[in-house]
Amino acid sequence: MTRDRDKREQFESEALVHIDALFGLALRLTGGDTARSEDLVQDSLLKAFRAWDDFRLGTNCRAWLMTILRNTFINEFRSAQRRPTPVEYDEVADRSVFAEVSAVDPEGHFFDRLIDKEVIAAIDGLPDEFRVPIVLSDLEGLSYQEIAEVMEIPVGTVKSRLFRARKRLQVKLLDYALEMGYLS
Amino acid sequence: MSANSDGGVGCQDALGRLYEYLDGELSEDWTEKVRSHIERCKRCYPYFNFERIFLDHIRSLRLGPETTGRLEKRIRDALEGA
Repeated sequence: MTRDRDKREQFESEALVHIDALFGLALRLTGGDTARSEDLVQDSLLKAFRAWDDFRLGTNCRAWLMTILRNTFINEFRSAQRRPTPVEYDEVADRSVFAEVSAVDPEGHFFDRLIDKEVIAAIDGLPDEFRVPIVLSDLEGLSYQEIAEVMEIPVGTVKSRLFRARKRLQVKLLDYALEMGYLS
Repeated sequence: MSANSDGGVGCQDALGRLYEYLDGELSEDWTEKVRSHIERCKRCYPYFNFERIFLDHIRSLRLGPETTGRLEKRIRDALEGA
């Protein structure tokens, strides 16, 4: 049993230190759902523990754990998203935020006036189809090809979803900034 | 959309690759074409610049709050039984 205890102690000292980073990613992937994020972190860490013998010490443990969490989330996400979502066919009104602000704030200074919490709330409020690509691309730094593989969608769909997601996010941020008087 | 007179790409080609350019997803050849276009196009430059500022802002976000000790305890307990 000593071996089991050693394994657990090693896992706890190497992997559990990344719990905040994992929880942060889980929160963004789930759109701010604390309970679901906690379950996701726990499931991912238990999976990692079971696979611990395959993990090579000295390699990037944080990246390995983030990949497990991402894949765990996407597997759940996929099984819940088998049917086509209405968003795919929803013609989002194409508002150009740049066109709206270019006369008064062409360099987007209003973005600086938004605090992280407000931007994160706007990302969390996006539909899954748009939020997940933004989180994977802009917060996690995955390439289009990597996102396509993780989400099992064509690269062309990644491009169009990212485009639409970012445009939606800009509209939300602009509306919020206008409401708060951040745009002078 | 302006036509190009110097053999480079025009506004439409550049704008159609806006995010691929800013995401570093274009080939070297296309990256250079788009870069060269936006550097000299008075209409595209401010738009690309605005989009770059937006993306920089999103990419610099901190992911989320720290966990509470409760989650860590829950996981330690689950590991005991694993």
